[in-house]
Amino acid sequence: MRYLFLLFISFSFLSANSGVLDVDWSSISKGIQQKPMAPFPKVLTKGVADVRLPVYLSKSLAYNKNMVVVADKNFYTISFELNGTTVTFEGDRTFQESVAPTNPEFQKIAKKSAPVEYNLAEGIMSAEFNRHGVNYSISIECEEPKRDKRCKEATFIQKLYRGLIIVGGRP
Amino acid sequence: MRYGLIVLVFLLFTACSQHKKVDYKGFSYYPAGQLIPENSGKGRVGDNYIYAPGIRFPLESAPAYINSQVYGVGGYLGPKGSLCDQKNYSYPWRDNYCEKRGWKMPLCSSGKGHQGVDIRSSTCEKKKYYAVAVEDGVITSIGKYTVKLRGKSGRTYRYLHLDSKTLQVRRGERVRRAQRIGLVSNNMGSTSTSIHLHFDIKQTIKIGNRSKSIFVPPYTSLVDAYKRLLEGNP
Repeated sequence: MRYLFLLFISFSFLSANSGVLDVDWSSISKGIQQKPMAPFPKVLTKGVADVRLPVYLSKSLAYNKNMVVVADKNFYTISFELNGTTVTFEGDRTFQESVAPTNPEFQKIAKKSAPVEYNLAEGIMSAEFNRHGVNYSISIECEEPKRDKRCKEATFIQKLYRGLIIVGGRP
Repeated sequence: MRYGLIVLVFLLFTACSQHKKVDYKGFSYYPAGQLIPENSGKGRVGDNYIYAPGIRFPLESAPAYINSQVYGVGGYLGPKGSLCDQKNYSYPWRDNYCEKRGWKMPLCSSGKGHQGVDIRSSTCEKKKYYAVAVEDGVITSIGKYTVKLRGKSGRTYRYLHLDSKTLQVRRGERVRRAQRIGLVSNNMGSTSTSIHLHFDIKQTIKIGNRSKSIFVPPYTSLVDAYKRLLEGNP
């Protein structure tokens, strides 16, 4: 019966409609969009100049010039090498599939979704969240995933998450 | 009424054929979601949707083998033996998406499981076989043992355990479909794992006016891609 149910879901609900999600710019609070203490590094301002979604970075890393930015108008990836770890911040406003809001499986998933979801998989610690209608993530990958606390406990990633500020992006 | 009956017969036929091995020109595979052994978790049996249609197979050459690293011969929960046992390097393929893990995975029935699939290359030798780009895109990040490719489609493909020292790409590089990324190895930072490529697909699914980024089942896309590789039309 479960098979039939899954088949029903597969054939009747998923649709390969891709596109760009609307960004709810009005939902940005002033607390998050802080005035920079100093100008952000050029590598950051130049790298995200064309990005059309709010760009989030942790305040503690926003002034670190040793970042690599890969971006276009619909997504960004900013990564840092920090003492044996690679820390990556990502935002993306595209979607590749759509399902009907009545789809029972995805209704369940949506209901269960927390504002931020921490996960440890393949030795990589991650935080996933949705803000302003688009999807973001932070991930930490360690040289020593079995020993490095940053990849074993959520404390470090929680600190990065709590320190997020908007450092770029425009409508 | 007649259409309803036809659909019902079709669904029953499909459901009944779920456990049968499929043979295709010398290549054989078990259907999506059929994990082995029984206690290795519950796969998405019956979900034959191709989430990433038209991608290239992520290894440059065949043969390649999708099967479990954990429950296969020599795996830490598998039958005793060598990881290089011939059984691990033979058909049929077995899906291992949603295989038991402690990791949150919304599309697995238990809410936890393996985020992608593990692929062994032709032989049990590291740093010999290339992983390649599955579609045109850009390399967005390179971690300690992970390379992320964001395809033109917007999907993100992760390649884990490639040899770091011989990577053929750098962060920000635009790559073409089939371009070499790196050599399959057992790299997991300072520790090591078995020789294989962990490959997964992350994409965003729009649900009404909400959306969720999620690791989707890659197996059916890979079966399709592998058939094209075997036909010489990758």
